[in-house]
Amino acid sequence: MKSLILFLTLIVLAPLFSAIMLKIKAFFAGKKGIPLLINYYTLIKLIQKTSVYSISTSQIFQVGYLITLATTLTSLLFLPFSGLPPLLSFNGDIIFVLYLMSLGKFFTLISAMDTGSSFEGLGASREAFFSFLAESAFFMVIISFFWFDEKLSIASYFMANNKINVWNNYNFPLPLVGISLFLILLTENSRVPIDDPATHLELTMIHEVMILDHSGPALAFIYINSYLKLLFFSSFLTLLLFPRFGLDNKWNIASFYITLICIYISIGITESIMARFKLNKVPKFLVITFSLATFATIIIMGFAR
Amino acid sequence: MSNLILTLTVLMVLFCLGSSRLLSIIYLIAFQGFLVSVLPFFINDKITISVILFILVTLLIKSFLIPIFLYFVMKRITIKREIEPIIGYNGSVFLGLIIIIISIFIGNKFNFHINHHNTFLFPAGITTLTSGIFLIIARKKAITQVIGYLMMENGIYLLGLILSNHNLNIIEFGILLDLLVGVMLMGIVLHNINKTFDDIDTTLLKSLRDL
Repeated sequence: MKSLILFLTLIVLAPLFSAIMLKIKAFFAGKKGIPLLINYYTLIKLIQKTSVYSISTSQIFQVGYLITLATTLTSLLFLPFSGLPPLLSFNGDIIFVLYLMSLGKFFTLISAMDTGSSFEGLGASREAFFSFLAESAFFMVIISFFWFDEKLSIASYFMANNKINVWNNYNFPLPLVGISLFLILLTENSRVPIDDPATHLELTMIHEVMILDHSGPALAFIYINSYLKLLFFSSFLTLLLFPRFGLDNKWNIASFYITLICIYISIGITESIMARFKLNKVPKFLVITFSLATFATIIIMGFAR
Repeated sequence: MSNLILTLTVLMVLFCLGSSRLLSIIYLIAFQGFLVSVLPFFINDKITISVILFILVTLLIKSFLIPIFLYFVMKRITIKREIEPIIGYNGSVFLGLIIIIISIFIGNKFNFHINHHNTFLFPAGITTLTSGIFLIIARKKAITQVIGYLMMENGIYLLGLILSNHNLNIIEFGILLDLLVGVMLMGIVLHNINKTFDDIDTTLLKSLRDL
C-alpha cells in the first residue's frame, strides 16, 4: 500500500521535479524563471488541443508515443522507491526493464522515421547510435551490481539489505558507478552536455528533432514520457545514493525525496555550467562513461567481495 | 581509505590516457603524485617522524616542484594539445582497461610475501607503471612522454611500498632525486627541440639522422 502511494505521488510530482531543474537554470542565468507548475499548465494546454496527424504518416505514428509512454510507466513499477517493496518484481527484471526502455525508444525511432522527413531520420540515427553506447555502459553497471548480489532483480539490489548503497563504507567503487549512472542519465534523457532539450530546428539536435511532427495530446504524452523517464533514471541513481536509517524507518522516505531533488538540482547545475558538446565529442563522452563503469566493475570483481 | 586512494590513482591513469590537453594532463599527474605520496600515511602501521618527513618531501617534489616546472615549460613552448597521437584516445582508454584487467590477473598469480593487507596495491602499481610506458610509446609530443615517465615512477613507488619496509626510504629518495634532475634536463631538451623545430614532436627528430 505504502509503495503504491509512493509510486503515484512520484508520478504526479514528476513534472514538478523537472520544473525545479528549469528554476535552477533560471537562477544561474540571473532570471526569475517560470512558475514551478509550468509543466502542468503546458500539459493541460496540450491535452485540450485536437490531434493533427500528417497525411504521410501511418498507424505506427499514432500508436508509437503511446507504447513509449506505456513502457516507461511499466518500468517504473519495478523500482523499489525508498527501499519499499516494488509493485512488480521477478528474477531478471532488470534486463526486462532495460529492454522495455529500448522498446520504447524503438517506437520513438520508428515513429520519427514514419513521417518521411529526412530531418527526423537524421535525429533517429543519432539517437540510436548514442543510446546504443549508453546502453552498454548501463549493462556494465548492472554487471557490477550483479557481483554484489548474485540476483538480477532491482528489488533485491536496493530493497531491504544495505549492500548496494554508497554510504556503506566498504563499497568504495560505488561512487564511480554513481558518476557513471549520472552520465548515463544525462545521455538517455538528452540533457545538456549531450543534447539540448531547449533547442528546436537546429541541425545538431538529437532527441527533439524526432518529435517535431507530434502535436496536441501526442506531444503531451511525449512530454509526460520524458518526465517519467527522467524520474526513472534519477530514482535509480537515488536508490544507490540515498542515506538509509535502518529498516522500515519513516525517515527513509524523507531522505529519498531529498536525494531525488538534489539529483534534479545537480542536473540543473550541470546544464547551467556546461555548454553542449560538439556532436563528434559525444561518442568520446560515452566511451568515458563506459570505461568508468567498466573500471568500477573490475575493481568490484577483484576486491570488493 | 587506502583502497579509495588507489582507485583514484588508477582512475587518474585512465584520465591521462583519455585526455588530449597537455595542461590537464599536468594537473592530473600532479594530483596522482599527491595521492601516491600520501598513501604511506594510510598503509604504514606505525608512523614515525622519518616517515612523515619522507612523505612531505615526496609530496613537495611529486605534486608541486615537477608539475610547476612542467607548467612553465608548457608556457614557454606554446603547444597546448596533442594533435596526432599514435594510438587514439578512445583506444588508449580501452587499452588502459585491458592493462588493469591483466595486472589484476598477474597480481593474483604472483604470491608475494606482502606485509600489507592491501591486495590492490600490487595491481595498481603494475597498472600505473605499464600505462606510463604505454604513454611514452603512444604519444608523439615530448612533454607527454615526460609525463609518462613520471607516471611510471609513480608505479615504481607503489610497487616499492609493497616490497620495502620504510627503512628503505633512502632508495626512494635516490630515485626521486634522479627523477627531478631528469625532468629538469628534459625541460631544457624540450626547450631546445622547440627552438630548433618550432614543435616538440619527437618524430621530427628523425631528420637528424644520417642518410
